[in-house]
Amino acid sequence: MSTQTLDPSTLPALAEQRPKHPWRKKTPRFTVSVILAVVLPAVVIVFLWQTSTIPTPVLMVACYLPLQLVASALAALATRGRRGIADSIVIVSAIGATVFSLVVLLSLLGSLAVRGWKALSPSFIFQNNVYISPSTPLDYGGIGHAILGTALIVFLASLVAVPIGIATAIYITEVRGRAVPYVRFFVQSMSGVPSVVAGLFILTTLIVTGALTQSALAGGLAYAILMLPTVARTAEEVLRLVPDELRTGALALGSTRARTVFRVVLPAARTGIVTAIILGIARIIGETAPLLLAAGNSDQTILNPTGSPVASLPTYIFNNVALPYPDAVTRAWGAALALMILVAVLFTLARVLSRGRLGR
Amino acid sequence: MSTAEFESVDVMEPEMATPASASSTELEARNVSVWFGQRKVLEGVNMTFPKNSVTALIGPSGCGKSTFIRTLNRLHELLPGAALAGEILYEGKDIYSRDVDPVHIRLAIGMVFQKPNPFPSMTIRGNVLSGLKLSGMKRSNHDDIVEQTLTAAGLWNEVKDRLDRAGGELSGGQQQRLVIARALAVQPHVLLMDEPCSALDPASTLKIEETVRQLSKEVTIIIVTHNMQQAVRVADNTAFFLASENEPGRVIEQGPTTEIFGNPKDERTLDYVNGRFG
Repeated sequence: MSTQTLDPSTLPALAEQRPKHPWRKKTPRFTVSVILAVVLPAVVIVFLWQTSTIPTPVLMVACYLPLQLVASALAALATRGRRGIADSIVIVSAIGATVFSLVVLLSLLGSLAVRGWKALSPSFIFQNNVYISPSTPLDYGGIGHAILGTALIVFLASLVAVPIGIATAIYITEVRGRAVPYVRFFVQSMSGVPSVVAGLFILTTLIVTGALTQSALAGGLAYAILMLPTVARTAEEVLRLVPDELRTGALALGSTRARTVFRVVLPAARTGIVTAIILGIARIIGETAPLLLAAGNSDQTILNPTGSPVASLPTYIFNNVALPYPDAVTRAWGAALALMILVAVLFTLARVLSRGRLGR
Repeated sequence: MSTAEFESVDVMEPEMATPASASSTELEARNVSVWFGQRKVLEGVNMTFPKNSVTALIGPSGCGKSTFIRTLNRLHELLPGAALAGEILYEGKDIYSRDVDPVHIRLAIGMVFQKPNPFPSMTIRGNVLSGLKLSGMKRSNHDDIVEQTLTAAGLWNEVKDRLDRAGGELSGGQQQRLVIARALAVQPHVLLMDEPCSALDPASTLKIEETVRQLSKEVTIIIVTHNMQQAVRVADNTAFFLASENEPGRVIEQGPTTEIFGNPKDERTLDYVNGRFG
């Protein structure tokens, strides 16, 4: 028996072959079962919804979900045998949980948009609150001062919390000093500090003693206390994901440990570090209590970080939402919507900036 | 009901239902071409794997050998952008036809990977039995299975006193033999090995090669290797893959190992097996 070699005459015919995905094809039996399993419970529920008086949420959770589970399990049994049942239960539960959280999220965003939309206008975004009373029509006044205040306070908080947080993470994962267990314990305890306590801490240690007045800096320091543990713990997690081979690889090239950290480990974890900062900002940006105590409130646009109280979006919402004037309440919803949009813009920006040439 | 029929085709109970269908060809690839996205990485592979034979796939890196064996047990489709044309017949039936459950295929056609991957949360014993648990196979004689498969993988004497230690504590060569035992515990008919010895020392390599020779009495083995001597030592048949620049990988020459290494027809095969390139 001898060997077979490639026959070049077959190559033109092979070039005609088209890429196919045979694993995507399903048997008719499978398709029919899935369609039945999706349609039948839906029909029953629509019928019940029309004819009975069961409240819709109860109907969806107590009737539709079990019905869908049973239908899917039967379909799985018919197409794949007994081992398909567990799969179908997992799939239906996962989809159910996803849909549930989506419904919650979308209804939250929806109510925010519906109620806040009326307030949003260029003047609302760019003007401040000077000469505006709660009964002033929506055409006048805005949250420009509060947006700038929030931005200033968050910036100052990040200035403090991000370097310390990342340094803490580096100490825990890269330096691996003797104090690691204690540091980690304190960081974890810190994440349990209620936000009002952070505000009180700044109030009693810095403001009552006269070191600072209510200001953006004081508010930023209170925010930093809340932001630090989130940044430190998330950064620790992502640094832990960097494979040790990279560290030993750099050390084997004669790098110092510091250079290994700054040139190899941190760049490898860059996307994760940005995520850590984003999560830190997300943790604090809506916190109201620390700012009520440490930053105060103002109707004017204040850009000086020290010396005078400063407005912010959370305190603006807090001050307006409980007033007995419909326009003031609408302003509060508008500010809440603006806060949401601000967060979205920040996150998108951070994602785009972290997606460098070598990014993942 | 075709799935049930397939299930009964001796996938679960290999010893019971053997030679009725004893056509000597266990697995066959017909005109298999593979794409990732729009890039064609493998073209027109025609190959037959006789029952209980060992076939070595050799060739330089990036010529599609690993990609090819991943098409043989339907792991290829898990990669993003994967596409495929042609047929792969296992016991005469196309494994990509739509009434075939990939779970059954992977149960019958096991695989050992380049890097040992014992499950870190399981003991040595747990690793060996993990395939039974994951696939839901019911077996009562667990102790026998552990001993048999670890013996077959050439690891029993080294670990028989510490079966309840973590699989990750073993050395690289032992881990690789552990995952071979794990693959054997579900009694596959075919075993795919993707450079199983590339990270191992010569002694461990030798042990695994002995294991392969032993196993080939009961299992069809397809082994990807960069080690020419290994192909000569273990394989009945050899196929030489090659990808020219900007061209998909192709099988340049295939046949009995002695012919491929002793009397190749194609000049490129001659150069490769003599270490002149690649």
